[in-house]
Amino acid sequence: MARPTVGPWLFSDRRIGSRPPSILRDWRLWFVAPAVLALALVVLFPSGYLIWMSLMHWVVTDPDITFAGADNFAAMLGSADFWSAAQVTLAYLVLSTALMIVLALGLALTLSGTRSTGALRALVVMPLIIPPVVVGFTWRFLLNGEMGFLGAFLFPMAGIRISMLADPVGALFSVVIADVWSRTPFMFLIFLAALQSIPKEYYEAARSDGASVWQEFLLITLPLIKGALVLGILFRVIDAINTFELIYVMTKGGPGRATQTLSILGWKTAFQGFDLGGSAALGVIMLIVTMVVAMAMFRRFLRVKA
Amino acid sequence: MAVTSLTMRGLVAMAAGLAMTATACAQTEVNVVAFAPGFAWANLFGPSGTEKTPELLAFEEKEGIVVNMEYADEEVARQKVLLDLVNGTGNYDLVMLGSDGAVQTYSYAGYLEPLDGYLDKATEYFDPSKVYPQFLEANRVNGKLWALPYYSFGAGVIYRKDIFEKYGITEFPKTTEELEKALQTVKDGLAKDGVTNMYPLTMRGAPGEEPTLDLAGFVYAYAGYPAWFEGGPTTPEEIKSKKAQPIFTGDFKPGFETFVRWAKDFGPPGIATHTWVDMMNLYGAGQAVVLMPSAINGFAALGGTQDEGVKNGTAFAPSPVGPSGKPIQSFWTFSVGVSNFSKNKDAAYKVLAFMTGKQSMEAFAKQIGWPYTTFPEIMHGPVLAEKWPKEVLDAVEASYEQAVPHYFPYIPELNAYMDRIGTSASEAISGAATVDASLDSLQAWAKEQMDKAGYYK
Repeated sequence: MARPTVGPWLFSDRRIGSRPPSILRDWRLWFVAPAVLALALVVLFPSGYLIWMSLMHWVVTDPDITFAGADNFAAMLGSADFWSAAQVTLAYLVLSTALMIVLALGLALTLSGTRSTGALRALVVMPLIIPPVVVGFTWRFLLNGEMGFLGAFLFPMAGIRISMLADPVGALFSVVIADVWSRTPFMFLIFLAALQSIPKEYYEAARSDGASVWQEFLLITLPLIKGALVLGILFRVIDAINTFELIYVMTKGGPGRATQTLSILGWKTAFQGFDLGGSAALGVIMLIVTMVVAMAMFRRFLRVKA
Repeated sequence: MAVTSLTMRGLVAMAAGLAMTATACAQTEVNVVAFAPGFAWANLFGPSGTEKTPELLAFEEKEGIVVNMEYADEEVARQKVLLDLVNGTGNYDLVMLGSDGAVQTYSYAGYLEPLDGYLDKATEYFDPSKVYPQFLEANRVNGKLWALPYYSFGAGVIYRKDIFEKYGITEFPKTTEELEKALQTVKDGLAKDGVTNMYPLTMRGAPGEEPTLDLAGFVYAYAGYPAWFEGGPTTPEEIKSKKAQPIFTGDFKPGFETFVRWAKDFGPPGIATHTWVDMMNLYGAGQAVVLMPSAINGFAALGGTQDEGVKNGTAFAPSPVGPSGKPIQSFWTFSVGVSNFSKNKDAAYKVLAFMTGKQSMEAFAKQIGWPYTTFPEIMHGPVLAEKWPKEVLDAVEASYEQAVPHYFPYIPELNAYMDRIGTSASEAISGAATVDASLDSLQAWAKEQMDKAGYYK
């Protein structure tokens, strides 16, 4: 089977795997130069600057900025705070992702039929348009143990006596719940689009063969939305590793360090500890971890086989 | 002919316009970054923080200086200051600081202009001899003055006198030991009366730097000195010369432990995440009996409360003394400094003097009405006398006199310490770790920090 050409209207004489066109030989490539330049400025320069910072001893209390090599990385990886924040990030990631998948898939399956109205879908999607800072404040007020509707009235009536935000475990669950509430709609939209792209004929054929609803889900739905599922998880992983505003507003990483994720630690290192080099090193570590996870998932599940 | 006349008129108008623009351009501009629009300097920038008041316009005209204010959220403003200073841009001539970390860190790093040489340059606006000396002292590092104080406060207690009296306590306790007993009496009384939504005490225990300002005051009252390093040194030179090791598991502990115990035993359930806003709201809502030791947050609550009990039953008391015989401290100044990278330092100082001077502070007292001010003349003047009984003003003034502004070390790393200590307290209050475990971890961290910073070479 011949490989498909990429954009026959653009490089009709070139195929994937052949020698890449040179900007010197093909004048048409110059048209993409402004976009490449803009991308370089917007993406590459800040990333390069971050890497440069991570290699420098740049502490506000010491006016001399000197080359530190891998010292910042060694100090960060050797600190108890880093590993505690990594654990919190992992717990946050796993909990929120698992909850989000279940909820988003459930909602998408429920609302993908022709009977569901657009208004209902819009209602489900609504939290997505609320900025994370507002979400954080809303949940913080709701869960407040002294005055919040949930924290001070509803929970005690249900026999829950702890102050969720002031309890180390409760606080982690609280930020996860707020995050799930806020971000599930995004995953829901991805799943909904995937579900609606499955031809109805597949289900009709399965039903005529006597397949149960569960078999339809396992043998038709799940395999056909696998790509969307992985894409949703991929976005979620990247989002969870980088979540900052919501946690900052709700708990500021507390109580103590109970919700101090890697992003919060990075902020603290820079703006409370005044260690800009150390914070940049943490940023680079997070960048590498995110890229490795994303690439692994992409290679494992999403790469199109020729 | 008509065309020529029009052209001439046009040229004249253009020349006049250019001349005016040139005059405007020739004016010195001073850029300021701060937080709290409508609260800080509302007399100059209006309630929205975006309009220049006649008072400011008159100053600008008189001095030939244009003042550009940039307000931001507190954290954002602090980040803007940090980034501006570390990059040496000089975009901001005047930067918002605070006597609990920023003044110390930035002055040691050389990012601020020492102000001692400027103090006689704008005495018509800011006369240092007419300010409570403690507020200047709080902004003095290694003998040099680095910032001028705007709104500032000392330690004290705001409490519900009516509730204390209801449970048989007619006089506010003078010692921490007596206060602990009184809090227990109030707690028992509330429980007996079936009151479940009122707590004997509110303090701040959120992770981060906030609680440290108050907690360090407990440490001082219990140890009798700033017990962070062996022997209580407060400057880098003293620490280096004595090779003083951190003592967070030593003399620091009794004050820390008491702060944590009181928060747990008498505070609201969410106290491990509470900031000054939470303690203020809680007191204002009538859900707390005692607010301490940063009493200013209680006065802030009085302004907005609808609770009659809070309005009528509140009283101020001096901060109780600890076992050392010294009172619990909580002392802070919202201060402003001149960036070392400013291109107009003289003009910047003039604006700073104007913004922190008597006229400005009087306007602040008029607008906000709290019994705190940096000028004795205002404390004893008609504006505050109209709002507060003399005994309250005298007691607040006495709290300044009892204050020891350097009740924690003035070291470059202070900001990081403030954050770490507050987070450790929050951790212990929440029960995520015991007091001993929190302090062990704090001690290990502090040793590592000091080693890394080269204190013991």
